[in-house]
Amino acid sequence: MDNAPILNVAALRAKVADEDLEILKGVDLTIKPGEIHAIMGPNGSGKSTLAKVIAGHPAYEPTGGSVYFGGEDLLDMEPDERAQAGVFMAFQYPVEIPGVSIANFLRTALRARLEEDEELDLFDFQELLMDRMELLEMDPSFAQRPVNDGFSGGEKKRNEILQMAVLKPSLAVMDETDSGLDIDALKIVANGVNTLKRESPGKSVLLITHYQRILNHISPDVVHVMVDGRIVESGGPEVALELEARGYEEYRKAHAA
Amino acid sequence: MSQAAAVHKRTAPVIGRAAVVETATTDPPWLRARRDEAWSIYQATPMPSTRSEEWRYTDLARKLRLDELVVADGDRGPGAGAGTVLPDALRQTMDQDRDGAGRIVEVDGKVVSVELDESLARQGVELASLRDAARQGDGDIQRLLATEAVPASDGKFPALNAALWSDGVFLRIPRGVHVERPIRLSRWVSRPGNATFTRILIVAETSSRLSFVEEILSPDFDRTTLVNSAVEVFARGGAQVQYVSLQRLGHGGFYLANQRTLAERDSTLDTLNVALGGSVGRVDLNARLLGPGANSDMLGLYFGDTEQHFDFNTSQDHVSPSAHSDLLYKGALDGSARGVFRGIIRVHEGAQGTDAYQTNRNLILSDDAIATSLPNLEIEADDVRCSHGATVGQLDAEALFYLMSRGLTRGKAERLVVLGFLGEVLARLPMGGVVEKVTNAIVAKLRNV
Ligand SMILES: Nc1ncnc2c1ncn2[C@@H]1O[C@H](COP(=O)(O)OP(=O)(O)OP(=O)(O)O)[C@@H](O)[C@H]1O
Ligand SMILES: [Mg+2]
Repeated sequence: MDNAPILNVAALRAKVADEDLEILKGVDLTIKPGEIHAIMGPNGSGKSTLAKVIAGHPAYEPTGGSVYFGGEDLLDMEPDERAQAGVFMAFQYPVEIPGVSIANFLRTALRARLEEDEELDLFDFQELLMDRMELLEMDPSFAQRPVNDGFSGGEKKRNEILQMAVLKPSLAVMDETDSGLDIDALKIVANGVNTLKRESPGKSVLLITHYQRILNHISPDVVHVMVDGRIVESGGPEVALELEARGYEEYRKAHAA
Repeated sequence: MSQAAAVHKRTAPVIGRAAVVETATTDPPWLRARRDEAWSIYQATPMPSTRSEEWRYTDLARKLRLDELVVADGDRGPGAGAGTVLPDALRQTMDQDRDGAGRIVEVDGKVVSVELDESLARQGVELASLRDAARQGDGDIQRLLATEAVPASDGKFPALNAALWSDGVFLRIPRGVHVERPIRLSRWVSRPGNATFTRILIVAETSSRLSFVEEILSPDFDRTTLVNSAVEVFARGGAQVQYVSLQRLGHGGFYLANQRTLAERDSTLDTLNVALGGSVGRVDLNARLLGPGANSDMLGLYFGDTEQHFDFNTSQDHVSPSAHSDLLYKGALDGSARGVFRGIIRVHEGAQGTDAYQTNRNLILSDDAIATSLPNLEIEADDVRCSHGATVGQLDAEALFYLMSRGLTRGKAERLVVLGFLGEVLARLPMGGVVEKVTNAIVAKLRNV
């Protein structure tokens, strides 16, 4: 059963919940355990929407197709249940939670994963948190800062990866985590992701990006191109290189035709 | 039987001149005179009505029937006075205050015990029942009690308090003495339908240091029970004072407090008002900045649910030039709770170089909760830096989704957002014990959400 997909998106359609606006128009995507997939595509093509529908954002309403995670029907689950099952989304625009420290937030998130009778060992937690912060070259004082409140763009992105590194999801959807990072930060983040992959090779990653350069550090098994709410091409890393050279014009034309 | 009824009647006076006379029996003449005068002012002052700007949102005519209340006096009550057995709820909360440098306990308007670290007593720190200290003829008390800070002329309730106060706290820190750990006042109100009038008089002499934490508790009541206090805090030059009030009355509690802080040159006089309990809470807080370099941080936190009603009326009076004040009041309102904040910064003529800020933020957790925020500025000097701001918002759906996407249930996510929102106030006054106690009380309330 090793080859059973961790994520199986089939003919997925979704619209904005309180509007008659369809964004995903039949998305097919299969990710197997251990695989790294990348999605590229022009602005507004629906990449973030796909990520949010996978995570269960209430602003979007699935109108057709299915999303299976392992054997579970994700679309039937609340966002917290999806997270508990092992789905994680690194936000393109992380949200500020004033007054809640990163440490407190992550402690609460880890506690939420425990059974009724289990207790989080605070010493272990502290160790894990410090270890992960070191991996991401974050200053320990960061743990006491309120989540994303007053963070720079790059700090927010790094904080997303920190959360991923602490929560250890089976599937991490990273929505443009590389945007807004300087070259050093990009390497640190990539190194973080690669370390996690080394620690648990079965974990899968779905990387949404506009830039080929992160794929030099995190090498994808499959690269998809998304245009206007559909995946229009899938292939190996060479797809990203071609895109870098030629842009999306051809896809747009082909699609419009 | 009729005799018992008669006794009961005599021992339970209503609010009136007879009660003033009875309360004053053992007082020195100056105090008796002061009570009489206050009573005259009380009688001459109309009950505040919603027609006045300051009472627009708290309708006393509807919420408070003074003629149905009985004046509390721990002296008369069964089992009160020395040797009183403290109720469990009070004991529990006091047990969390082990760090206190001094402790004073008040039950039904009467101080029942006073403890002070010996080393502080040796340094001349005075912590006493206000009533005892006034009877012993302390000059400071005669000079400062209900005169400069909260005089009877301030209004209907300051007058009533000045006439009827039964006891309270006198605390004086001598020049240069630093009291490193907080002094705690634990107040318990037990009798439904009573009206309790107490006062706090704090004098921090030049360059002294002090934190004072007052906590008020009661069981739930089946009828309106009034708790009225007048708080007078003097920070002399260079003194550093923190005054904290935790209001955790039970249902039926009607809390009415007049607080005034007077900050002289280079002193710091910070306050924190926490309102969690009671059915109605009204706090009038006036901070006066009386000397250059004076500084007042004014913090407030309220969390209302069911039909709780909290009303804060604050003012920052910059009398002196080059002083600083910064107010932050934050409230969360659930159920059909109501929060009112009315604040004014007054920069008096000649108070150049004033720095004064005022912020009120509200988080509405249900459709029926209401927050009203009325920030105000009155500036009669130039070269000042002032700002005021008010917000009333709801739980941010994006924030909730963010937290849920990390595995928190909706309930846990909401609780964390509310705690974070209110916790910002506590983070500004990181006083050991207080933060934890207030956080726990908020968490307990959030469990009911
Ligand atoms: N809540 C919403 N209400 C209205 N329109 C929306 C909403 N969410 C997304 N859209 C629209 O759907 C389209 C796809 O948005 P999405 O954020 O998924 O694009 P994207 O591929 O992630 O783009 P980018 O590369 O710029 O991040 C856009 O045109 C966007 O304006
Ligand atoms: Mg996007």
